[in-house]
Amino acid sequence: MNESVTILFPIFFPILMGVLLLVGKEPKKKALLSRYTGGVLLLTALMVLGLVWGKEVSFTMFFLTGRLPVYFRVDSIGKVFAFVVTVVWVLAGFFSFEYMKAENAPRRFFGFYLIVYGILIGLDFSGNMITFYMFYEMMTLLSMPLVLHERTKAAIMAGLKYMFYSFCGAYMVLFGLYFVYRYANTLTFTAKGVLDATLTAGNEKLLLVVAFFMLLGFSVKAGMFPFHGWLPVAHPEAPAPASAVLSGVIVKGGVLGIIRVIFYLFGADFLRGTWVQTTMLILSLVTVFMGSMLAYLEKGMKKRLAYSTVSQVSYILFGLFLLDPVSLTGSLLHVVFHAFIKCGLFLCAGAIIFRTGKRRVDELTGIGKEMPVTIWCFTLCSLALIGIPPASGFISKWYLCEGALHTKTAVFSWLGPVILLISALLTAGYLLPVTIKGFFPGEDYDYAALVKKEPVKLMLVPMVILAALAFVLGIVPEGLIRQLSAIAGQLM
Amino acid sequence: MNFVQNFPFFSIILSMFSGIVSSVLPARAAKWLNTILISVVGAMSAVLLVYLMGTGESYVYWMGHFPAPWGNEIRAGVLEAGMALFFCVIMLLSMTGGRKKLLGEVEYSKHNLYYILVNLLLSSLLALVYTNDLFTAYVFVEINTISACGLIMIRQNGRTIEAAVRYMIMSLLGSGLFLISLCMLYDLTGHLLMSNIKESVAVLVSHHQYSVPLMTTIGLMCAGLAIKSALFPFHSWLPDAYGYSTVSSAAMLSSLVSKGYIFLLIKIFYRVIGFEIIAESKVINVLFVFGLLGMIFGSLSAIRENDIRRMISFSSVAQIGYIYMGFGLGTESGMTASIFHILSHAATKSLLFIAAIGLTDVSKGSRQIVDLTGAGYRNKIAGFAFTVGSLSMVGVPMFSGFVSKLLFAEASIGHTYKMLPAVIVLAISTILNAIYFMKTVIRIYVPERRKDCEVITIKNEKEYAVTLVCFIVLNVMLGMLSQPIVQWIHTGLSMFG
Repeated sequence: MNESVTILFPIFFPILMGVLLLVGKEPKKKALLSRYTGGVLLLTALMVLGLVWGKEVSFTMFFLTGRLPVYFRVDSIGKVFAFVVTVVWVLAGFFSFEYMKAENAPRRFFGFYLIVYGILIGLDFSGNMITFYMFYEMMTLLSMPLVLHERTKAAIMAGLKYMFYSFCGAYMVLFGLYFVYRYANTLTFTAKGVLDATLTAGNEKLLLVVAFFMLLGFSVKAGMFPFHGWLPVAHPEAPAPASAVLSGVIVKGGVLGIIRVIFYLFGADFLRGTWVQTTMLILSLVTVFMGSMLAYLEKGMKKRLAYSTVSQVSYILFGLFLLDPVSLTGSLLHVVFHAFIKCGLFLCAGAIIFRTGKRRVDELTGIGKEMPVTIWCFTLCSLALIGIPPASGFISKWYLCEGALHTKTAVFSWLGPVILLISALLTAGYLLPVTIKGFFPGEDYDYAALVKKEPVKLMLVPMVILAALAFVLGIVPEGLIRQLSAIAGQLM
Repeated sequence: MNFVQNFPFFSIILSMFSGIVSSVLPARAAKWLNTILISVVGAMSAVLLVYLMGTGESYVYWMGHFPAPWGNEIRAGVLEAGMALFFCVIMLLSMTGGRKKLLGEVEYSKHNLYYILVNLLLSSLLALVYTNDLFTAYVFVEINTISACGLIMIRQNGRTIEAAVRYMIMSLLGSGLFLISLCMLYDLTGHLLMSNIKESVAVLVSHHQYSVPLMTTIGLMCAGLAIKSALFPFHSWLPDAYGYSTVSSAAMLSSLVSKGYIFLLIKIFYRVIGFEIIAESKVINVLFVFGLLGMIFGSLSAIRENDIRRMISFSSVAQIGYIYMGFGLGTESGMTASIFHILSHAATKSLLFIAAIGLTDVSKGSRQIVDLTGAGYRNKIAGFAFTVGSLSMVGVPMFSGFVSKLLFAEASIGHTYKMLPAVIVLAISTILNAIYFMKTVIRIYVPERRKDCEVITIKNEKEYAVTLVCFIVLNVMLGMLSQPIVQWIHTGLSMFG
């Protein structure tokens, strides 16, 4: 593995630029702000892409205690996440230039937006658990200003709720981390686990409890039942571009944590067939169903999407906890697809709020006539999320179900696909009415009062790109599938 | 002999004389003398630290050139010099942070008395750090107690007098126990100099002589210093003493006075009894258990508390518990973690006390947490500093508290029987910490427009703001540059041996 300092640039460049933006003076021209942010975003994106397409490199920064370094490494799974983060972050960033014109203190927003970008890249490229943990906590802390940006009482309460849940989850992880360190000699991520067989002998029960706590801790960020309470409160309170990235990629921080714990610390074989796997599968299936049910019942647009995130991220978790290469491929596919789709949906919802101020689903009658392109994007993303072929969600769900049927776990091999199907039905139930009512408002709709309210191109283009990605990746998925199933193969 | 080697003696004697001179100076001059004194002592300690790092070995300084075993000795190694430097930094920051507040808290005529007490406190702390003579240590323990009592009582209201009396009683009990054990040790070994006692104790242990009296002595010594440093369940004096005294006093009492005793205990472990003997004795198991209990009960009391200052004080009980838990592990790494936590807690707790006063000032002086609603907006720098301090206490990465928790965990997982209780209690206590500190942070950032409260900006409280910024930097430095500091502790401990 090559030592290379280049790995630090995409992490610390946006952080530094963000800090400069925060402490610097308010620029005279508003346009300067978005140009600066856009430039930094694009430069960082280039650096990340360079790393993603380059060789695997690593870098040890400094030692925290005697044996624990802050260590970065670009590995295959990190590349996938970093790529997704970059696409979503840049697109939502460009969307926000227009959107934030209507909000207070755009400078503060962009400052933290850049900082969190750097931290997420650091999270994805962390080479050991302690570095991961550090970036994980920083992610919570510094993405909080994005949640409570509007500084209303509700927003601040939501931000604090977010922080409290996340901290408690992180401490469960830290607690487990001490034990893993005891039985493993190293915390550097290694495919198939780091546990030392001679040390663990006789302590399997303890280590299962430890694994349970760590998985539970990370699942807080991924919004799994029973720790999903913060998500539908925090995500909708943020400005739309922030909700898009929160729902699209920051929850994936928890998913990445779970992947790291299962496949890089404990190893899939250690957990297969244990009570930990069973409990986690039950919890994730409960969340899949509950999330879509709550989304179906919810009337607020952004809150509905947030509940949808709760449900969809648990699809991913279900696939991970099955501990099967096929379902793992499905999970990774869903990580990519869900990031693009959910970001697209939130941006559409943001565009609607920006142009019309309508936040509730039942107010959206005829919206398709006013903003046809936006609602077309929304529709494409919805179809992809429901999983209607040939849109992308179909592929990932196919792999998830195939993986479930493939495993020999007693109940879950058939119960999983059934619940996934029911949830897909509910997904259709809560997303499609927007399209249907939007394009076919009914006879009593007043066509005379129709005003075109399509947003400007800067907002439209990111939505169109995301919707296109959500759809096109479903039609030509071979390259992606090959990459991801290769990763899944390495891990099992 | 190198001139630099005189510095420990200079520091002690300078601070004592400044205390005496302050009594005839006007308050303003006493203030300046105090500030200059702390800076000069800090600078001397820094030079000494650099010098010792260069030579790589500790030295013994004969007072008045009387050789052992008759004379009195001072001993300096990197750990002592570094500790002295750290104490000076914290003391300077605590003084500047509470300076403006002091005008309102203490009658002007008593100001130079206040500075006398602070100077004496510094001299006794330095003596505790540097001395190589157990009886000298006892004398300065008493000086420390008296000046600390004065610092509590100087703000005269019923609460502080009661607190001071309580503190006095508990403290004297502690020093009484310490004195008894000192007499017994003198009886057993015939020496008062630390290095000589250690040789005799080693002989006694190897011949299995006087094992019960020796164990009793160790127990009494630990109990005495534990009472003085407020280990659970001897903490009843603490919340009032820290909660109602002036803000500078509270910051210094929590981060320096109790730490001075703890540092003395570490010296006794290493230099008087010998670490192997301590590690094998049952006494450390008792310390371990009480440390764990303190970690939990201190936090539980803090959760129940509605007064912000008393809440921070109760949190000290929990943090002292951490330190004793580290002692209780009886390993070198446990000791390292404890010493790191001494630094980390001192830097964080004084920050919290000083930030809290800024928050109460903008809430009409009310200390009830409920009344602090929105205080973080009215005094931005104090709110931010309080948040940083809380995050550090909770153990968020980048801040000092995280590193000490990591070190504690790393130390405890090396242990067969004590691993599980230590790690579980560490986790529980972290969550409890998070509950009450985050509760307060949430409270101070709940938006509420209150027209009746004044607003403090950085511009009209420059000194205060600079102090807080220094504290924050110190905290982040401890959190980020932990490696050299841990290295320094290791070197210092090996010089002890």
